[in-house]
This record gives sequence, structure tokens and C-alpha cells, in this order.
Amino acid sequence: MLNVNELENKHKKYKLKSYTPYFAIFLGVSAAILSISFFLLYDFNSKKETKKELIAQKTQEYNGDRKADIAIENKNEAIEQEASKVIVPKEKEETPVTQEREEKVQLSPSLNFIKRIESEVPLYKKEDSVKAAAIIEKKVERPIEKSSEPIKKENKKEEVSLPIVEEVKESIALVQKPIVEEPATNTSTIDIKRRDVEEDIKHVIKRFNVNHNPALSLFVAKKYYQLENYEQAYNYALATNELNNNIEASWIIFSKSLVKLGKKEMAIETLKRYINHSDSSQARQLLDEILSGKFK
Amino acid sequence: MKPSIYENSRDVFLDTVNVKDYIQLEKISMIYQALRDSIEKPLKMVLLYGKPGTGKSMFLSKLHEDVASAQKAYLYKTPILDESEFFKTIAQDLYGIKYDSELNFTQFMKVVENRELIEAIVPIIMLDEAQLYTTAMMEKIRLLSDTRKVKFVIALHKTEKEDIIAKEHFQTRIWESIKLENASPVELKIYIQKKLMKVNCVDTASMFVPKSINLIHKLTDGNYRDTNKLVYTLFDIYHYYAQNNPKEIRGNEISKKIIEMAAIHTGLINA
Ligand SMILES: Nc1ncnc2c1ncn2[C@@H]1O[C@H](COP(=O)(O)OP(=O)(O)OP(=O)(O)O)[C@@H](O)[C@H]1O
Ligand SMILES: [Mg+2]
Repeated sequence: MLNVNELENKHKKYKLKSYTPYFAIFLGVSAAILSISFFLLYDFNSKKETKKELIAQKTQEYNGDRKADIAIENKNEAIEQEASKVIVPKEKEETPVTQEREEKVQLSPSLNFIKRIESEVPLYKKEDSVKAAAIIEKKVERPIEKSSEPIKKENKKEEVSLPIVEEVKESIALVQKPIVEEPATNTSTIDIKRRDVEEDIKHVIKRFNVNHNPALSLFVAKKYYQLENYEQAYNYALATNELNNNIEASWIIFSKSLVKLGKKEMAIETLKRYINHSDSSQARQLLDEILSGKFK
Repeated sequence: MKPSIYENSRDVFLDTVNVKDYIQLEKISMIYQALRDSIEKPLKMVLLYGKPGTGKSMFLSKLHEDVASAQKAYLYKTPILDESEFFKTIAQDLYGIKYDSELNFTQFMKVVENRELIEAIVPIIMLDEAQLYTTAMMEKIRLLSDTRKVKFVIALHKTEKEDIIAKEHFQTRIWESIKLENASPVELKIYIQKKLMKVNCVDTASMFVPKSINLIHKLTDGNYRDTNKLVYTLFDIYHYYAQNNPKEIRGNEISKKIIEMAAIHTGLINA
């Protein structure tokens, strides 16, 4: 009955699954740290040239652009190129990097960014790990959004800002989603006044399947009998009798349903047996009625 | 073959309502006293409500057993839904009158009103699963209790839907209403250990250290029915290991892994 081996496997999977959020967070955080250091390096590099020069260069590079997203993609590449440029000299000469460090003003926004990620991470713990990873990745893209701002201004193309704004919105939506969802599921009651029989039965069946309370199956049997669904009435009365074979009302419904289903002989047989061991006057009365043809 | 200690421990947690298995819990006994007190007062109705598996049926059975020796008390575990049948059953139980034909509410009210109370003690009718009665039927039950010739103790399983019924029908009129709640971790520990002690399973009872209780409470929220199912499966797994793989159950505390396996099997953990 109890398959312990299968259960062991399920448990293993469950354990693995319970580690994935942490794994995802770990991945996300390391990705964030990587990209931040990458961003910093990029920043130092750009500091080498004057800001004006940077803007001029960028506008040159992208002036002829037709579509904004292409521009961003190109920029990604450009940043990567620039970054790889930086990494090589960095190892050789350490002095320029430390010199730049002294300008702390430049660093502060990036640190905020780290904080933001850290404070948001616990939110994803319960979420689907894939989703969590996705959000973190989105956040990681932000440095690019920021760095692209100067270009936006220079180009004076409205379209440029659009995809970026959308992206930010999307990540906000993702973050808010779990918060928004919960109240939505809790609202839809109050207007129920009269209990619809069908719904009532469904509700009770659901509970019966959980707790196997014969009171519930008997209720269902009676309701089905009233609805003239004798087959189901029979089924649930049978289930009731199996759980507790001493409920008079259940035997009555069971026998009545049998008669209605055209199994009169079986009903008589059942009632006789029940009367033998219970001495139920109600059962006897029903038996009389069936035998005399009063109940059919 | 003699059943093993794990089998004995397991079977204690079969989900049945049986008065002889009743466990006196401190909070419950407090409510229980309140309920007994209120039965002795000239009340109309007592409402007992709470989520599924909080022990309403158990409570009602216990109350019935205790009260029935001293006065007329009838417990209807199964709702009698046919109106005529309901009144006929009460007439039979309270007054020993047998009606062969239909008995409607107006007729029955007359019978009740004209009835002189033989003893000073008002008979009690206890209705379990009362949420299954229709709104109209509940109203009639209330009118019956207004005669003060019969008291009703009503157990109501509460969902949002039933909550409304409870509000509409009892809030302003009920004399007393008592809510049953899930167990706290402390109560859960007492519950599990007392159950095991009752069948002399001292060894398994002592395996439930606070850590195991806390995990079980986290999984079941202290619901008695869910706890029954979980612990039942838990000992089923212990029994299996005892026969097939004894090294899995060497510790003298309940294994966390096996609690989780039981929770997966009973659906308390989604895996
Ligand atoms: N005081 C108690 N002593 C022993 N067992 C208890 C006690 N309270 C609850 N239980 C156990 O918990 C299980 C659930 O309790 P019960 O059936 O009384 O809940 P309920 O509130 O009537 O639920 P429902 O609303 O589904 O009818 C029972 O099978 C019983 O074994
Ligand atoms: Mg119950």
C-alpha cells in the first residue's frame, strides 16, 4: 500500500527542489556582483576620457541609427569591447585604477544598486526559481540602461527611451506580481445567500473525499435521491454503509435507490438482512411498502 | 504475529471519532467547562464552530457521553435532512411518540408547546454537521429552542460560506458560541504523546522531541485531523523500515526525513 521507495525518491526531488531557490539566488547575486565590477571597470575606463569626448564618441558611433533596440544591442557589444580593452591593461598597471578609487562620489550609486538587489532577494525565495533568476538578470541590465542615458539625450530620439522604460516597467511588474495576486483570490465571496444544491453537493463531496465522514456521504446520497439521481444516491449510500454499517437512514436510501433503479429483489434482500441485525422499524416499514407495491 | 510497536503507534492515529479516545487538553477542557456551564443555564442554543478537523465531532461526542447519564441528551451525528423525518425523530426521542404519517413544523411546535416538562432539566439535542441543514431548517430549530422546552447544541464546520450562515442565524440570537481552534505546538505535543501513552507506547512517545513537534506543527498548522494523517503515515514508514531497512530508523528522535516523507505522502508537502 505504502510505496516507501517511491516516497524516498520524491523526498530526494523535494530536497533538491528546496535548494534551487538558494542556488538561483546565489547565481543571481554572483551575476550581479560580476556585472557591478564590470560596470565599475567600465566607469573607470570612461573616466579616462572626458565626458564630452565619451558622448561625442557615442553619438558618432550611433548617429546613423534607425532603430532603438538595435542601438542598445550594439551598445552592449561596444561595452563588452570596451571592457575587454580595460581588463588587459588593468592587470599590467594597477596604479591608474587605485587613483580613480579616490573619487568616491562616482561609486555611490553603484553601491545603492547592490543594496537594492540584496533587499529584494528575500522576496523571490518562495517564487519559482526561474522567475527569480529572470528578475535578477533584468536588474543586472540596469547599468546599461543608465549608461545609455547620455546617448538618449544627445540623439533626441524619443524611441530610444521606449524599450528601456518598458523593460523597467516589466521588472517592476514582476516584482509586484505576488503582492497583487493574493488579494485578488480572496475577494469573490459575500454574495452567496442561498445555497445552490448542486454546488452544495460538490462542496460536500470534496470534503467527503478528504475526511471520509459517513455523515457527509449520507448527505450526498440523500441529496442525489432528492434530485432523482438514483445511481449516485446508491453509490453514496453504499459508501456510507461501508464506512459505518449501522446508519439506518443510509440503508433506507440505499434500498429505496435500488427499487428506483429497478432492482426490487435486491432491495428486499438488503432490507431483510438489515432488519435481522438491527431490528429497525423504519426498515421494516419500508420493506412492507415495497412488498405491497406501495413504494415503487 | 504480534503487532510491532510502530503498528500499535500508527493505529492510534486512525482518523475516527470515538469517545474512548478523547484526550483532555487544557484549552479544550476549559471550553468544555464553559460549555457544560452554559448547558446548565437557561440558554436557548449553544453554537460550536471551527475549521474542519479541529475536533468538533469529538468534542460533541464527549459532551454527549458525559451529559447523557444525568439527563435526556441525544446526539445526531448525521443530519436528518427531511423535515418531517427530523421532527418525527425528535418526537420519538423526546416524548416517545411515534408518527406514521408526515409531521410538519407547525404540528410539531404544538406538540412541544403543550408538553409539560416532567423534570426541571431541559433535554438537549446535539446536532453535528449542522452546516448541512438548510437556512429554513435552522430557522425552525431556533424557533423550537425559543420554547425553552428543548435545548440545542449545534456543531458547525466553518467555511466562508458557512460563516455567513452562522452570522445570519446565530450572531444576534445565539446565547453562547464557542470556537474550536487548531492546537498550539505545546498542545500538539500533549495530544500526540497522550495518545501514544494511552496504548503504552512510551518509547515512541518520547521520540517526539520539541524539534519534531515544531516541524509537524509547521506542516499541519496544529490541525488534529492533518496531524493524525501525518503521524499515521509516519509510523507506517517506520514500520516498513523496521522490517526492511532498520538502519534508517536508528536515532532516538523522530527522523526529519521521515516526517517530510509522510508529509509528501499525505499531500501536506507538494513534491
Ligand atoms: N480532544 C481530542 N482527543 C482525541 N482526539 C481528538 C481530539 N480532538 C480531535 N481529535 C481527533 O481529530 C480528528 C478530527 O476531529 P473531528 O472529526 O472531531 O473534527 P471536526 O471539527 O468535527 O471536523 P469536521 O468539521 O470535518 O467534521 C478526530 O478523528 C479525532 O481523532
Ligand atoms: Mg465533524
